[in-house]
Amino acid sequence: MAEKKKKATSITHARYACAIGAVNTVSAIRRAIPIANCGPGCADKQFITMSFSNGFQGADFAGGGAVPSSNTGENEIVFGGVKKLETTIKSAFKIMDGDLYVVLTGCAPSLIGDDVEAVVRRFRKQGYPIVHADAAGFRGNNLVGHESVVKAIIEQYVGDVKTEKTKGLINLWADVPYFDTNWKGNYSELKRILEGAGFKVNILFGIESEGVKSWKKIPKAQFNLVVSPWVGLSIAELLQEKYDQPFLHIPVVPVGEKETTAFIRRVVEFAGIDNKKAEKFIQKETEQYYYYYEHISEFISEYWFGLPARFLIAADAQTTLGISKFLADQIGLIPAKVIVSDNTPLKYRDAIAEEFRNISDDTSIDVQFIEDGYTIEKEFDEADYGYGKPLFLATSWDLDVVRKHKGLFVPIGTPNNFEVVLNRTYIGYRGAITLLEKIYSEVVRG
Amino acid sequence: MAAKRIDLNLPTVESRELRLGSIISWNGSTEELLKESNYEGRSEKKKGCCGSKGEGCKLCELNLPFSQQTMCCHAIIETQVTNITDCVLVEHSPIGCSARLPRINITYNQTLARRGKEPQMIRVLSTNLQENDMVFGATAKLERTVREAYERYSPKAIFISLACTTAIIGEDIISAANELQDELGIPVIPLECEGFRSKHWSTGFDIAQHAVLRSIVRKNPKKRQNDLINIFALYGSDYFTPLLKPLGLRVNYIIDGASYDEIAQASEAVATTTFCHTLGSYFAAALEEHFNVPQIHSPMPYGFKGTDAWLREIAKVTGKEDIIEDYIRSEHERVLPRINELREQLKGMKGYVATGSAYAHAIIEVIRELGVQVDGSLVFHHDPVYDSGDPKENSLKHLTETYGDIPDYTVSKTQQFQLFGLLKRVSPDFIIIRHNAIAPVSIRMGIPSLPMGDEHMAVGYDGMIRVGEAILEILSRRKFAKTLKEHVKLPYTEWWLSQDDPFIIAKHPEIIEEAPDRFTKKTKKRSVK
Repeated sequence: MAEKKKKATSITHARYACAIGAVNTVSAIRRAIPIANCGPGCADKQFITMSFSNGFQGADFAGGGAVPSSNTGENEIVFGGVKKLETTIKSAFKIMDGDLYVVLTGCAPSLIGDDVEAVVRRFRKQGYPIVHADAAGFRGNNLVGHESVVKAIIEQYVGDVKTEKTKGLINLWADVPYFDTNWKGNYSELKRILEGAGFKVNILFGIESEGVKSWKKIPKAQFNLVVSPWVGLSIAELLQEKYDQPFLHIPVVPVGEKETTAFIRRVVEFAGIDNKKAEKFIQKETEQYYYYYEHISEFISEYWFGLPARFLIAADAQTTLGISKFLADQIGLIPAKVIVSDNTPLKYRDAIAEEFRNISDDTSIDVQFIEDGYTIEKEFDEADYGYGKPLFLATSWDLDVVRKHKGLFVPIGTPNNFEVVLNRTYIGYRGAITLLEKIYSEVVRG
Repeated sequence: MAAKRIDLNLPTVESRELRLGSIISWNGSTEELLKESNYEGRSEKKKGCCGSKGEGCKLCELNLPFSQQTMCCHAIIETQVTNITDCVLVEHSPIGCSARLPRINITYNQTLARRGKEPQMIRVLSTNLQENDMVFGATAKLERTVREAYERYSPKAIFISLACTTAIIGEDIISAANELQDELGIPVIPLECEGFRSKHWSTGFDIAQHAVLRSIVRKNPKKRQNDLINIFALYGSDYFTPLLKPLGLRVNYIIDGASYDEIAQASEAVATTTFCHTLGSYFAAALEEHFNVPQIHSPMPYGFKGTDAWLREIAKVTGKEDIIEDYIRSEHERVLPRINELREQLKGMKGYVATGSAYAHAIIEVIRELGVQVDGSLVFHHDPVYDSGDPKENSLKHLTETYGDIPDYTVSKTQQFQLFGLLKRVSPDFIIIRHNAIAPVSIRMGIPSLPMGDEHMAVGYDGMIRVGEAILEILSRRKFAKTLKEHVKLPYTEWWLSQDDPFIIAKHPEIIEEAPDRFTKKTKKRSVK
């Protein structure tokens, strides 16, 4: 009897990094210093997928080539790596000018059984601001690593605090730094919207954050806001347990007026704050939004030379859901293939699939969860293309299939070798307008 | 008969530190390093460095207690074997080991364009190992993935790479490759390139070359192609064709961008040479020793002296001695006027070179030809000898004897924290770099960088002109760099930035204890000076 063919688990053209990629989560915390406790090359590789080949984002303070690393070598594999790690940490305190040091342990030291936890605890007891997180690549991808690192910082650095809550103060858990090409711009737009609605927003990553001060402020917030289908949920659950802090989970990142306005109203209602300021802000933003919407309507209504009708999309759950919702529900583009490629944990998949099924009144999407790029490209290739030019919202790995079907191409996922991205967003009121510019610029570029 | 230096019967090649005595941490002048390297003495030994554990010829290396993230030999083999147009790589590792591929895909497609070939995404499958695999082993997954690679792409050969994890848990990729080779009827080639295997990534080049020599290069070729010359290269533009066509030679670029057959025919070529001894020496020496394809034993083709000597050696090996002197003379005459203009335009400029080892020697030669002052340079490792052991390939000697000493010469593996002090000491107007992690510090210090992405740019007589023009363009970017410098802060403490010697923590590790401690009250009061 023929052997039962097992489901392929290999990956071609990967669309994420591994857990040690969370060094980029740490470097995105202002003045935090990651210490990559792993082989030489591990941190460098993840930086390529997450920053270089992902919009050429550059690096924060102690990111990129500045990341201290134990660079585990043959000697450490044979005799243990604790000693080398200790001298690396000790030197890092003196050489690297940081406020918080986070040791991330990768595959090799995990496998040889180095007791990193004990080393880091010893330093912490001496008064050093240092945290340890498990980030072995065989335990998961960079999204898993991100959650692991954030939770480690909360447990080991923010610590057990009893404090009054500040009404209207929100901890915002949205994009994964660097992994989301637009993370900087996305946090800025979400902050702008929430502040416009009357909230104070505690941002933990990037230029909108105050670094460790923001992290120490976490327990003070009235609640945690998770704007993502699944990444960050386990963080919010930890915070609920630890600081008796409720959380609001909004799986669909808001893109465009309809979704953003609903988003604001939901957050206001959850917080129980007065809605006057929020409604005034909504009114002003809505007016501006439709001012531009009206202008692009001329183009959409009478451009002779071909507009896209169908879209094919593949990226992480957060981006795919947010952008699909906007295009299918508000712009009226037809979903031809919708793929989530971030290895969403099984327990979250049903709820996410349900969001896609209810994407719009008259439209339902059967989302597929696929990580292997070869399979994704094949699915794209075999999609129903209809008459018009297809619009691909995907990664730079997908260029072959885009060329084959003479498609329009807007990079939205990791990796992204085709754009230099600094401060850009496709979400909220303003980001949606930028996304429309981007899509229809591709149309006129031909 | 002398024992062969290279043993192609071994399934894998020894690391550079074992084979050549390579080091990654050193500081001094090139004259001192030349003396300490003792190229000739070392080359007489059977295996480069001491056969036994004798300390006699071990290069003194500075042992740093602190390091920053860098590169591994696994990343290097990716840059090699994924760039063969009709082969596939299966990476036997967790997914993170594949995370450099999006960048490698950029260089691959650039190479294809430069070789006049169709664009194509690199073809790599990861076995995508999980925690369970670490416990129970993953050979079944490997076999399945190799078959999948075969079915999907019908490649001419499949490479399998080992990684830190799979080496630690003892995955036997050699046996698996042998069995799959029998099953599939194409070469299935194991690469033992786990990241911790060597302290320097360049061992990865040797691992890829060793594998290709054992499994792809045609053994006992029936014919010779007397006009074909192997150029061991990376991704560089085709500047070798215009340089060698007047001698009636066609170039065969290996490995990047080549097809299986182009690599296989390497044993039919009339000679082998390279743009960089660090990169190409193992392949060239092995082809000479095992396939009777002569290696061009000469300095590398940079600057007037190097290019002259290299061309003369090629002419000698290929029987073109009758025309070579006229060719060299006319080339000098052709390029000299523009080079003299560039020398005038670059007068007073100071440059710094931070690249791979022998390549740095080459680039310094070129910019010194252009009259640029070079007081310091950084290489990512140093090989005291190359595999052939031939003193004519002693590139450090050629540099130092032809163009003079480099007083502040540093071996450091892309360590940003050291670069600050090094650049402060020589304050150059620009820096020439390869590899990531170096230029970001330089530009934050107000020094613009020229990334030598097209590594053939500096080759030959025209190379001097190309580099000179590029430097003039880069100098204009000082505006950007100087503005940046005024608005950024480096992630290093004042204490560290005030150190004059970037190797102080290797020479006096106790200084770490004595440095100001911002977090505890443990700081010793003794002066740190």
